[in-house]
Amino acid sequence: MIKTAIEKVGEYFLFLRKVFSRPENARLYWKQFILETDKLIISSILIVAVISIFIGGVLAIQTASNLENPFIDKMYVGYMVRESLILEFCSTMVALILAGKMGSNIASELGSMRITEQIDAMDMMGVNSAAFLVQPKIIAATLLSPLLMMLSFILGLIGGYIVVDFTGIIRTASYIEGIKYSFNGFYIVYSCFKTALFCFLISSISSFEGYYAGGGSLGVGRSSTRAIVAASILILMFDLIVTEVMLY
Amino acid sequence: MIEVKGLFKGFGDKVVLHDIDAVFGTGQCNMIIGKSGSGKTVLLKNLIGLFEPDRGDILYDGDSLVAMDEGRRKLLHQNIGVLFQGSALFDFATVIENVMFPMNFFTDWSVAQKRERAEFCLEKVNIVGSNDKYPSELSGGMQKRVGIARALALSPKYLFCDEPNSGLDPYTSILIDKLISDLTKEFNITTVINTHDMNSMLEIGDNICFIDSGTIAWKGDRHSILDTDCASLKEFICANTLARNIMEGQGR
Ligand SMILES: Nc1ncnc2c1ncn2[C@@H]1O[C@H](COP(=O)(O)OP(=O)(O)OP(=O)(O)O)[C@@H](O)[C@H]1O
Ligand SMILES: [Mg+2]
Repeated sequence: MIKTAIEKVGEYFLFLRKVFSRPENARLYWKQFILETDKLIISSILIVAVISIFIGGVLAIQTASNLENPFIDKMYVGYMVRESLILEFCSTMVALILAGKMGSNIASELGSMRITEQIDAMDMMGVNSAAFLVQPKIIAATLLSPLLMMLSFILGLIGGYIVVDFTGIIRTASYIEGIKYSFNGFYIVYSCFKTALFCFLISSISSFEGYYAGGGSLGVGRSSTRAIVAASILILMFDLIVTEVMLY
Repeated sequence: MIEVKGLFKGFGDKVVLHDIDAVFGTGQCNMIIGKSGSGKTVLLKNLIGLFEPDRGDILYDGDSLVAMDEGRRKLLHQNIGVLFQGSALFDFATVIENVMFPMNFFTDWSVAQKRERAEFCLEKVNIVGSNDKYPSELSGGMQKRVGIARALALSPKYLFCDEPNSGLDPYTSILIDKLISDLTKEFNITTVINTHDMNSMLEIGDNICFIDSGTIAWKGDRHSILDTDCASLKEFICANTLARNIMEGQGR
């Protein structure tokens, strides 16, 4: 059991080495990068936007109901919504959702290419199939996902504002004041870094699982499940590690 | 010329191929025939390097495939055209993009030149007017023909076809057989074809290897195949009524 796990990690790193070998033809890779950006990032905007607005609203209500004490300034509601969003929600929660969306997309796409021998056909032309198919995916996911995080942050704050405005639990002016209160710019860097790292894990693990899928369509299903489970667990583990290293 | 020497291949403890020795000549249509499940596809995949043989060697014009490193294999693969049993067309690309795919990687031709070459190849396999369709919009037989066009795109020195005409109507089958045979002769290609189609064997088989219970049970060509003494090959051939009638008619 432990031996197979170690073997798997070894295979994963060998796979990454194959993926990150030099492109045969930079122009084709660039074209592929654009396609992957559309498939992995642009198409995720809607789901990220919807959940961010709702979570921003929920956070505002929850925080307000926890700060009933009349001696605490109500602007702290806005402050705490902002901090929860930037510290945890916009990176980790969004990454967990992307693990499902991106992970299943990548693993099932590569898996079905594997079982219909399309990957073999590519190898037989002398094309490095791992690099051509996977490298643009990982680069698009890793470099561009921080933009999704920023989007999620902004929409989360707006979601909170909408709820505050609608329900009147606190004054909108103090919500805005709280959002601006004592802002630590480093948190943006921290959150962008986390998101990029998590999306690297998602895209590389699900590519690995899909690329080596076997056993027909059942095998493809299995490998995409495995990819999502592994990516989710690793996201939470690395969340702990990165937070410890960067914030403490 | 491709030589196979003492090849063994098994999965787990199941031996699929053993003691395979064969020579596939240049400018010839070399055929591997045998019943379904006899190991034709496994042999072909060993030849092209998708499976590693457990024992034995494969020589491409004297160069050992087993001993080649990654870089030399890639160079060799640029000279190989492969048609897979399931066509293996890229479903992210249209018909013409599929045929142009290897050209994008390995030539510095202009788009117009690549198009022209791709259209030439597609015309050869009788696919016209489907350039912008996706593989999922084609019939199985059409997919196969596009697969052949793609295998021919870079004028390969070695061509491997896994059942090029299964799933095609008799008319197109013969067309494809003739096409493969003509190209083989014209460009002096080393062609290896897996098939269980009697017509193809009798039509274009210059060099035929019959696989039975994991090894080559008979070798010969299309002229000698009907005179065979090999019992299992006779049985295989006589499944075909036409061939049986011919053999019986000749009093054999
Ligand atoms: N990847 C594999 N793992 C385990 N066994 C395999 C594998 N590929 C093929 N086999 C076994 O090898 C044997 C030969 O299979 P192969 O695909 O070569 O048959 P074939 O002669 O090409 O048949 P067909 O004419 O139906 O295509 C079969 O018994 C099959 O079960
Ligand atoms: Mg087969």
